[in-house]
Amino acid sequence: MQFLNQVSQILGKKSFKKIYILIGLLILIPILKPGPRVGYGIAKNQNKRILRIGTSDRVRSANIFLDSYMSVFAQLSNPPLMKMTPDGRIVGQIAKDIHSSSDYMRWEFHIQGDLYWSDGGSVTAEDVKFTIEYIRDRSPVAGWMKDTIDTVSISDEKTVILQLKRPYTRLDVEMATHGLLPKHIWQSIDTPMQYINPGENVGCGPFFIQKIDLNRGVILFAQNPFWKGPNPKIDAIEVHIYQNIDVLSLALDKGEVDVFYNYASSYPYQNLKKIRANSRFDFIEKLSTGLIFLGLNLGKAPMSDLRFREALSFAINYREIIKLDSLGYGKIPNRGLLPPSIEHYKDTTPLEYNPEKAKQILDDSGYGDHNSDGIREAHDGKNLTLTLLVRPVHARLAELIQDYLRSVGIKTTTKSVDTSTWINLKDRYRYDLTIARTTPWGMIVHAGWATGYFDSRRTGEGVLHNIDDPKFFKLCDDLLSTRNKEKLRYSAFQVQDYYNSQLPAIPLYWNVFVTPFHTKFQGWLTNPLYGIFNIDNFLNIEPTPN
Amino acid sequence: MKKIARYLLALYIIISINFFIPRLMPGDPITNLMGEDYIASQDSIDALKAELGLDKPLLVQYVTYWGDVIRLDLGHSLHFHTEVLQIIASKLFWTTVLVGLSILFGTLFGAILGALSGWGKNDPKNKILTTFFLWIYCIPPFFLSLIVLYVFAFKIGIFPLRGFYETGTFTDIAKHFFLPVLVLSLSLASRNYMIMRGSVIQEKGKLYILYARAKGLLNRGILFRHVFKNASLPLITLVALDIGFIISGALFVEIVFSMNGMGTLIFDALLARDYPVLQGIFLIITIMVVLANFLADIVYGIIDPRVREQR
Repeated sequence: MQFLNQVSQILGKKSFKKIYILIGLLILIPILKPGPRVGYGIAKNQNKRILRIGTSDRVRSANIFLDSYMSVFAQLSNPPLMKMTPDGRIVGQIAKDIHSSSDYMRWEFHIQGDLYWSDGGSVTAEDVKFTIEYIRDRSPVAGWMKDTIDTVSISDEKTVILQLKRPYTRLDVEMATHGLLPKHIWQSIDTPMQYINPGENVGCGPFFIQKIDLNRGVILFAQNPFWKGPNPKIDAIEVHIYQNIDVLSLALDKGEVDVFYNYASSYPYQNLKKIRANSRFDFIEKLSTGLIFLGLNLGKAPMSDLRFREALSFAINYREIIKLDSLGYGKIPNRGLLPPSIEHYKDTTPLEYNPEKAKQILDDSGYGDHNSDGIREAHDGKNLTLTLLVRPVHARLAELIQDYLRSVGIKTTTKSVDTSTWINLKDRYRYDLTIARTTPWGMIVHAGWATGYFDSRRTGEGVLHNIDDPKFFKLCDDLLSTRNKEKLRYSAFQVQDYYNSQLPAIPLYWNVFVTPFHTKFQGWLTNPLYGIFNIDNFLNIEPTPN
Repeated sequence: MKKIARYLLALYIIISINFFIPRLMPGDPITNLMGEDYIASQDSIDALKAELGLDKPLLVQYVTYWGDVIRLDLGHSLHFHTEVLQIIASKLFWTTVLVGLSILFGTLFGAILGALSGWGKNDPKNKILTTFFLWIYCIPPFFLSLIVLYVFAFKIGIFPLRGFYETGTFTDIAKHFFLPVLVLSLSLASRNYMIMRGSVIQEKGKLYILYARAKGLLNRGILFRHVFKNASLPLITLVALDIGFIISGALFVEIVFSMNGMGTLIFDALLARDYPVLQGIFLIITIMVVLANFLADIVYGIIDPRVREQR
C-alpha cells in the first residue's frame, strides 16, 4: 500500500490522465512499429525455396512411430514400403517389386538399391526386417501383424521374406502406412511408447525431419544429403501447425503458408469463398474416396427392418444437406454407398428425397400413427423415438436429419458427445442412429470397399461393426481371398449390390476435397490416401517461373 | 495449525476427486489411442491396460495412485509419449508467462482504474471508461481474441498469428505474447475494474473517510492509503482463485493463438482420457490454488487487522 501511496503522490492530481497516456503508449508503441509486409516471420530465407504447409491436425508428441498425425507427416522422411498412386493403385515405394506365393502365405519384398539414410548409411533388408518386427512386437495398433506375420527373414541385402500364419492377400495395402525405421537408431529404443525426439530424425526419403518444435508449432524437413532419386526442386518443407482452422485460413490468405493440408479432410467449405477471391491461389478439387453416412444399429428394431431403412432413405433431403453442410461441395450418393472415385465402382441407384414415399412405406410396414399424436408407433405400439448419437462436428447434420425424420413422423433425440464417448457408446451399440464418416484409408483396409466399417468380426475407433450377416461375411472373405483383378472386380460389385439392396448405412453425401495452394508453386500431385502429402508430389512440385 | 489441517484435508479430498473424476467419464485412455483409422487387437489393448495398471481393481489403483502422488511420480502419458511431469513442466513454463503477466496487468490496471473510477466523479471520462470495461466484460475472451487477431495480426500484420515464438529472441517472444496477454489482461481487468469500482463506492460513504479528511489528508492519499486497502479484500480472494481457473480458462485464447500451453494440454488430455496427464495437471492446479488461497489468507491478515485479531 505504501507503494500505491507513493505512486499516487508522484502522479498527483493528474493521475487519471497520466495513467491513460501510459496505457495508451504501452498499447501503441509496439503497434506503431512497422511489421514485415508479407506476414510475420516469413520475410526470411528468401533465397531458399521453402514450401510451407499449414495444418490443423493436432500433433501431440515428437514421436514419429506412434503419434497418429506425426507418423503421417513422418512418411516424407520415413516412407513406407508401398505407396498409393494418384489413380489409387498400391505400388512399391521403398520396395522395388513384390511377389507373393499363390496361397498368399509367403511375400517377398525387393527394396530399391539406391536408398540411403540421412546419416549416410545404406537402407538394407535388415532395416525392413527390423521395422516389421519392431511394429509387430511394440506397436499397440498393429494387432493384425501379430495375428498374421509368423517370421520375417532376409535372403540377401535387398530382399525381405515374410512368412505368414494365414493367407493374406492385402499385405501390400497394409504396408502402405508404416514408415521405415533405421535399425541402427531404433534398435536401442526399447519403449517407443515413452520416446520422443524433437531433433533430427534419421530418414531415407528425399527429405528428413530436421526438427519438431511443437511450442513453435512447426515440423522442419531438410533435403536428405544422401538421396539418390530424382532431385527435389524445393530446398525444404515446413509443416506449420495451427490449433484453429479459421486462423489457419487467415494464415493461408495472408501468405504465411503456401498450401493447406489436413489428413482426409477438405479445406473448410465456409472459408473457400474468401480464399477464392485471392488471386494468388489455385485449387485442387477431387471427389474424395470417403463419404459421410447415417449409421444404423442393425441389431435393434426398427433399424433391423429393411423397409424401415428404405423409408429413412426416402425421408432425407440429400440436396439440402449438400447445400447446407458441404456448401455445395458434395454429390448426391448412390444406394451402393461407394463414390465413383473408388476402384471398381458400380453405378447403383441414386438416393432420392421423397417424403411421401417414405410415409407410404412406413404406413405399409406397420409404422402408422394410430393415436394421431404426430409420432408414428413401432410394432410394439410405442412411439418411434430414436437416439441419434453424434459428435459435435456433425451437429448441423444431426439437426437436419432430426427435421427430416420428424416430418415423416419419426421422433429423434440427438445425443451429442465427444469422440471418446462416441466410440464407447457405439462399440456397446448404445444408439439407434449415428452420423459417421469414412476415410480414404478406412475404405481400403480389411477387405476394402468400406467393408471394414461394417464387418462385425472386427472393431476399431471409427468403425460401426454392425453387420452380422453371413452373406456379408462371405463377400468380405471372397474379397480377402483373391488378388485376381477380375475376381476382385466381381466381388467389389457384389459388395456394392449388397449395400444397395440392404442399406446397412445411408450415405448422406459424397464429399469433394478442395485443397488451395499458392500459385508460386506448380506441379501438384495428389493421391486418394494422403492427398498432397506424398513423396511423388514433393519431388514434382517446383517454384512457378516468374 | 487448524488452518493448515484444513488445507491438508482439502488437498486430500481434491486429490482423491482428481483420481475418480477422469475414471467416471465414458471411455478410457486406450480407446482413442491412435486415430480413427487404426485397429488395435484385444491382446494389445489388454497389454496396455496392464501396463497402465487399469486392469486392477479401482481400490488397488487408488492406493497405487496415492503412492505415486507421494513420490511425485506422475507416470507416463500414452498419448504424449513422455513423462507427465516433463510434459507439464514444458507447458507450465509458457502458460505461467502468459497467465502470470495477464494476472499482473489485469489486477494492477483493473484495481487502480476501478478504484480511481469509484472514487472520482461520475463525469463523461468515468462513464466512457466504465462503458469500455463493461463492453470488454461482456465479450467472451475467445471472441475478443479473434477480433484482435484479425485486426492486428491479419489486417495490420504487426503481430504473429500463432505460437509462443518464431526465432526465440526476447522481442520475438514479446511480440507473440502481446496479443494473448492483452486479451487475458483486458478480460481480467474488466472484472477487477467492476469489483474494485463497486467496493470503493461502498467504502466512500463510511465514517473513517470523513475522519481521514478531517485529519487533512488529500483525496488521493485517502484513496490509496485507506480506501484501497479495504476495498481490495474481495479482489484478493478472486485473484487467488484466478490462479487455478485461468490456467484452464486460457484454453480458448491458446486455441485462437495456437499456443501449445496448459489449456490445450488439458483439452487434449480430456479428449484422450489420458488419466496420468489429467491427474498430474489437476494435482498441480490444486496445489497452486491451495497455495494461492493460503497466501491470500496471509495477505488478508496483513491488510485487515480484524482478520488478524480473529486469529
